[in-house]
Amino acid sequence: MELKIRKNGDVYIIDVTGEMDLYNSYKLKELVVKMLEKNVKNFVINLEQVDYIDSSGIGALIYICSTIKKMNLKLAISNIHGSVKKVIELTKLMGYFPIANSVEEALLMVKE
Amino acid sequence: MLQDLKELRSDENDPLFDKTNMLKKEFPSDFRQIRYFTLLIVQSAPTEIKELNILEQQISEVIKNAVKHGNHCDINKKVTVWYSFSSTHAHIIVQDEGEGFQELEKWNDFNRKRLECLHNNDFIELSNYVSFKTKESDSQDGGNALFAALEYWNGGFVYNGKRNAVAMLKKYQQKFHGANRDGE
Repeated sequence: MELKIRKNGDVYIIDVTGEMDLYNSYKLKELVVKMLEKNVKNFVINLEQVDYIDSSGIGALIYICSTIKKMNLKLAISNIHGSVKKVIELTKLMGYFPIANSVEEALLMVKE
Repeated sequence: MLQDLKELRSDENDPLFDKTNMLKKEFPSDFRQIRYFTLLIVQSAPTEIKELNILEQQISEVIKNAVKHGNHCDINKKVTVWYSFSSTHAHIIVQDEGEGFQELEKWNDFNRKRLECLHNNDFIELSNYVSFKTKESDSQDGGNALFAALEYWNGGFVYNGKRNAVAMLKKYQQKFHGANRDGE
């Protein structure tokens, strides 16, 4: 799994590539924690290039989502598709996660 | 039948534990190889039932639970997997050498509350029920695998009496000359 960061104004976009599984999902958690320590307030997690997620990956997203909510900051998760979308549906978290269909939509959601 | 899918059951005599015509593989409880062991099982499934990689992912969760929570990643303890695949079904049994899923009833209580929140569209209260953790859980555990498992394994998902083995069945619709027919 690879993590790349880019900026759009004061929104940080994390582009995730590969698989979010029991071996590597903690890395996304750690990255977001580091970014929060550096006072990042607006996050987009772009899962366009993610083709596999398991319960650890979902757990990482849950942790990130709840931490950001508690701190009254902003998050959107974009471009879930294929089996990633299916797993989130099976876990019935489509309404819980702030989901956007594209990075553009995610940016709008976060900038509101 | 629909009622069964919303909670975990324990039934030593459930027909899903009938191992007739099932193949078997045994693995040491090596955490680092969970996905590899899963692939060894899933490789013999027909492509059309793999659903991208959902079948693999769902099986990996059960094997992970057996390795990590059942056998505590003790390399000397075995996980045994029985499996059978066709274009219309996936039938899996996973057994570990542990003491069994002690918190099964607590899990059912937790899930009932979770489903109530979903039913009421109460996403604020839901946040208390998105992840089931016990004192055995660590920060890498998502605590959500079984929620998805009960939805995915539409033919049943049941533990044995000791709760150290779980049997599951997924039925796929068979496409036949454009019409659909349910698999056995």
